[in-house]
Amino acid sequence: MNNTAIQTDNLVKTIPQAGRELQILRGVSLTIDSGESVAITGLSGSGKSTLLGLLAGLDLPTSGSVKLFGQALDGLDEDQRAALRLGRVGFVFQSFHLLENLTALENVMLPLELGTQTGDYTVLATQALQRVGLAERLGHFPNQLSGGEQQRVALARAFVTRPQILFADEPTGNLDRATGNEIIALLFALQEKLQTTLVLVTHDETLAARCQTHYRLVEGALA
Amino acid sequence: MNLLFKHWQQRWRMPELRLLLLALIVSVSVVTAVGFFTSRVENAMQAQARQLLGGDLVLTSARPLDATYLQRAKALGLETAETISFPSMASRGDKLQLTQLKAASNTYPLRGDLKTAATPDAPSLLANGQFPARGEIWAEARLFTELAAKVGDAVNLGRSTFTLARVLTEEPDRSSNMFQLAPVVLMNMDDLQATELLSPASRARFNQLFAGKAAVIQQFQKAIEPQLKPTERVRTLDEDLASVQETLQRATRFLGLAALLSVVLAGAAVVLTSASLMRRELPAVAVLKAMGMSRRQVLLDHAFSLLLTALLAAAIGVAVGFVLQFALAEWLSQLVGKALPAPSLLPLLSGVLTAVVLLLGFALPQLLRLVNTSPMQILQGALQRPQQSLLWVGASLLLAVFGLLWLQARDWQLAGMLLLGLIVGTVLFWGLATAALRLVQALSKRVGGGWLPSLGRSRRAVLLVVVFATGLFALLLLTTVRTDLLNRWAETLPADAPDHFLINIQPAEAAPLQAFFKPHGVELNLYPMIRGRLVEINGKPVRVDDYENPRAQRLLEREFNLSSFAEFPVSNVLLEGQWFAGATQGLSIEQEIGAMLQFGMGDKLTFDVAGQRFSDTVTSVREVRWDSMQPNFFVIAAPNSMTQMPQTLITSVHFGEKKALVTELIQQFPSITAIDVGAVVTQIRSLVEQVSFAVQGIFVFTLIAGVVVLIAALQSQKAERRRELAILKSLGAGRALLQRRIWSEFLLLGALAGALAGLLALTAGNVLAYYLFDLGISLNIVPLVVSSLIGSVLVGVAGYWNLRGLLQVLPLSLLKS
Ligand SMILES: Nc1ncnc2c1ncn2[C@@H]1O[C@H](COP(=O)(O)OP(=O)(O)O)[C@@H](O)[C@H]1O
Ligand SMILES: [Mg+2]
Repeated sequence: MNNTAIQTDNLVKTIPQAGRELQILRGVSLTIDSGESVAITGLSGSGKSTLLGLLAGLDLPTSGSVKLFGQALDGLDEDQRAALRLGRVGFVFQSFHLLENLTALENVMLPLELGTQTGDYTVLATQALQRVGLAERLGHFPNQLSGGEQQRVALARAFVTRPQILFADEPTGNLDRATGNEIIALLFALQEKLQTTLVLVTHDETLAARCQTHYRLVEGALA
Repeated sequence: MNLLFKHWQQRWRMPELRLLLLALIVSVSVVTAVGFFTSRVENAMQAQARQLLGGDLVLTSARPLDATYLQRAKALGLETAETISFPSMASRGDKLQLTQLKAASNTYPLRGDLKTAATPDAPSLLANGQFPARGEIWAEARLFTELAAKVGDAVNLGRSTFTLARVLTEEPDRSSNMFQLAPVVLMNMDDLQATELLSPASRARFNQLFAGKAAVIQQFQKAIEPQLKPTERVRTLDEDLASVQETLQRATRFLGLAALLSVVLAGAAVVLTSASLMRRELPAVAVLKAMGMSRRQVLLDHAFSLLLTALLAAAIGVAVGFVLQFALAEWLSQLVGKALPAPSLLPLLSGVLTAVVLLLGFALPQLLRLVNTSPMQILQGALQRPQQSLLWVGASLLLAVFGLLWLQARDWQLAGMLLLGLIVGTVLFWGLATAALRLVQALSKRVGGGWLPSLGRSRRAVLLVVVFATGLFALLLLTTVRTDLLNRWAETLPADAPDHFLINIQPAEAAPLQAFFKPHGVELNLYPMIRGRLVEINGKPVRVDDYENPRAQRLLEREFNLSSFAEFPVSNVLLEGQWFAGATQGLSIEQEIGAMLQFGMGDKLTFDVAGQRFSDTVTSVREVRWDSMQPNFFVIAAPNSMTQMPQTLITSVHFGEKKALVTELIQQFPSITAIDVGAVVTQIRSLVEQVSFAVQGIFVFTLIAGVVVLIAALQSQKAERRRELAILKSLGAGRALLQRRIWSEFLLLGALAGALAGLLALTAGNVLAYYLFDLGISLNIVPLVVSSLIGSVLVGVAGYWNLRGLLQVLPLSLLKS
C-alpha cells in the first residue's frame, strides 16, 4: 500500500493585512507517501504551521491544490473536510491542547467518541495510555500532570484511532530537552509500530534528521 | 444522546457552568415565587371583591335597569338578584330616623354573606340562606337605639308597617363609607311597591347581581356591555380600594421590583458566565474540529448542554418558587377566610421561559461564534477570537432583555420603558465608572501611585466597577425602599393603633369626653364632622348624570364628610398648594376625589349643609393614607370657617384589652356611636407581618443574584489575570508585592463601585419612594459612605479570594495554559 497520502501543487496562502496582501506561502509543491515520515523545518514565522494546516485541510489555500488521501480538498466545505479527517488523522500540538475539564482517559476517548470506531472506548483509551506509560494516571486532570505527561496524553489521544496520518506541530516546543527527547522517542516508536504517515513541524535540525524526508521552508517557499 | 449527556456532565466540572446554573436558578426562583405571590394575591383580591360586591358581576345605575338583562342571564343559567337602595325615613311612634333602605330579592346576596343577630347584644351569626319574610325588616343596631325599639316592634316605612325581625350586622355591598350615619334596613323586594316610597326623586341606586361560572359570566358581560345605556355600568371594586388591598398592592409592587432587579442581575451574570464559558470552549472546539468534528455536532453538543442546564435550572427554580408559594398560600387563605382558588400555572411557565430566554438570548450568539471557530486557530500561538458582528450580539441581548422585562411587566409599553431605563442606566454607569477611574488615575499621578495609571484605560477595570456598582445599586435600592416600606407599615399600625372610631359626638360633649379618658392617659384628637352635599363647582350645578364613573356618581348621591381644623393630619401628604397657616379661608381636598369629580386648585366648591350653603376655594391638595386608622376627610375647610354649620365630632381611640371601657363610655354618653375596627386593624397588622416576611425573602434572592454576578465578573477575567500574574512573576515580582497589588486594586475598584452605587441609589430610591410607594424624600448620605465601605471590603475579599490560587502557582505553569 505504498501510495500517496498527501499531494500539494503550488500552494499559495495570502492574507489581507493593513490594506495589502501578506504572502505567507508562495507556491509549495510536495508529495508525501503513506507511511513516510516527513519533517518541515524553518525559522519562526516562515509559514510552517500555515502549511501544516493546509495539508490537514484545516484551512483552504488562496490558490493551488491539496489532495488528502487522494481526495482534492478545494471543492469541499469545512464539514466535508472534517469528515475526511475523522478517525484517519491525529494531531499533536506545541501547547498540548488537552481539554481542561476532562481526565486523561476522557481526553483520549474523545476522538473515539467522535468517530464510528467499534470496540470498548474505555478499553481502547486505557491501552493507548498504557502505551505512553501513563497507566497510573487515567483519572488525573491536565492541571495535575506535568508538561511531559500532558504531551504523552496528547500522543495517546492522537494514536488511539490508529490514524493514517499524524500531524505534529513542534511537539517538543514547550518541553525541556530531556522530556522532549522522551516524547520524540515515543512518537517515533508509535509511528513505526502503527505504520503511520508522520508530518512533523520543528525547528530542531537533529530531530528533522530522524525523518525520512526533510523540507525546509524559507519565507514561505521550499528551499 | 448518551454522549451528549456525558459531555454535559463533563462540562459540569467547569466553575462557569455551575455559576451559569446558579444564576439561572436564582432568576427562575424569584420569577416563579413572585409570580405565584402576585397571582395568589390577585386571586384573593378578586375573591374578596366578589364578596364585597355580592356577586361575580354587578350592574348598577341611578335609573331602573333594563329587565331583559336578568332574563338573558337566567337563560344562560346564571344566578341573579336585584337590589334597590335609597335613603328613607323610618318612624316608630313620635321617633324618626333617616335610614338607608335596601330592598332586595330573596336570592341576595349571590356572593359573600349576610350576618344577623337575634338582639342588638347577641352574637352575630351567618344568615345561612334566611331572608326577611314579607312584612319583616332587618335593621342595623343603630336603628334600634335611635327608635328605642326592640326585636318584634313595629316600624313604619312609607305607607307600610313592618316588624323588626332581626339585627342586621353585616351584608356585602355595604357602603364603603363607614361613617354613613343612616343605619341600613334590609327589606324584601316584594314589599317595596306597597310602601310607595320609590319615586323618580328618590336618589335610588339600582343593582342587578349575577353569579355563575367564570366563563359564562365573561360571555354574558361581553354580550351586554355594548347594550348598556349611558347610565348603566358594570360595578367593580377597584374603585374603592380597601386599606388591606392598598397594603397588598404596595407589597406586590415592591416584590415586582425586587424580582425585576434580581432577574436583571442574574441576567448580567448569565451574560458574563456564558461569555467566559464559551471563551474556555474555543480551544476545545478548535481541537475537536481538527479531529474531525462537524459544525453540526459542535452545535448539537453545546446546545444540548445549555438546554439541559436551562431545564435543570428551571426545574430547581420552579420547585423553589413552588415551595415558597405554599407559605404564601397559607396566610393568604387566612386573609380571605376561605380556601384560595387554585393558583394560576402561568408563573411556572414564565419561570421556565425566563431560563430559556436568558440562555437563548445571552448564550446563543456565543454559541454561533463557537460553531464558526476555525480549527486553524489551534496551530497559531495566540488564539484570536473570531470576528463576529456586534450587531448580532447586541440585538439578541436587547431582545432577550426585552422578553424578560415583558415577562415581568406583562405590558409592552412598560417593558419598553424599562429597557430604555436599563440602557440609559448601563451607559450612565459605564460613563461614570470611566470618569471616576480617569479621575483616580489623574490623582494618583500626582501622588505617584506606580501601577494605577493603567486603570483609567482598562476596560476590564471599568467592567468590574460597572458590574459591582450595578449589583450594589440594586441591593441598596431595595434595602432603602424595603426599610422605608417596613418602617412605614410599622409606623402606620403601631401597637396602640386606634381600634375604635367614636362618631356622633356633640360639641358640648367634647370636654366631658376628654375628662372621661383622662384617667386612662388618653388625649383625644377630636375633629368636627359636617355632612354636606356638593351642589356646585365654580357656580355650575353638579349633576350626577354628568359623571361616567359610578363611584363619582355614588359620592355625589351621598353626603360628604367635611371638616375644619388647624393642624395638618399626620397621615396625609401635601401635594399642591399650602396648608392653612393661620388662614381663615380656603379648602384642602383629597387628590383622588378631586381627580374623580374634576375639580382642583383654585376651583370654587359649594356645599349644601342641612339647607345652608357653604362656598370656598380650593387652596391645597392632599394625599390621604386610608389605612392609617385615623379620621380622614375628603374636604377640609380652613379652621373655624364652619363653626356656624351643624356638626358633630369624630375621633379614633385605642381601647386594646379594656373592652369594658367601651360599654362604660356608651352608658355615660348614650348618643355617641362606637365603631369597632379592631378586626380590621388585626387583619392589616398580621398581613403586614406576613408581607414583610415575603419581602425579606425575595430580598435574599436579589442578594444571591448580586453575589453571583460579582463572582461571574471575576471569573470572566481570571484567565487574563492569570497571564498577567505569570508575566509579573517571571519579571521577578514577589508574592507579597502581587498580594498588595491585588488587594489595592480590588479595594479601590470596590470603593469606587460602592460610591457610585450609593450615589445613584440615593437618587433612584427617592424617585421610586416618591412615585411608586408614596413615601417621602430623604437625603441621607450615610448609605453613600457605608456602600463605599461595603463595596471595597466585599470586592476586595471576593477579588482576592478569586485570585489567591494563582499566587502559589509557578510562573512557568501559569504561562503554559
Ligand atoms: N490569520 C493570520 N492573520 C495574520 N497573520 C497570520 C495569520 N496566520 C499566520 N500569519 C502570519 O504568517 C506568518 C507565518 O505564520 P506561521 O505559519 O504560524 O509560522 P510558523 O509556524 O512557521 O512560526 C507569520 O508571520 C504569522 O504572523
Ligand atoms: Mg508555528
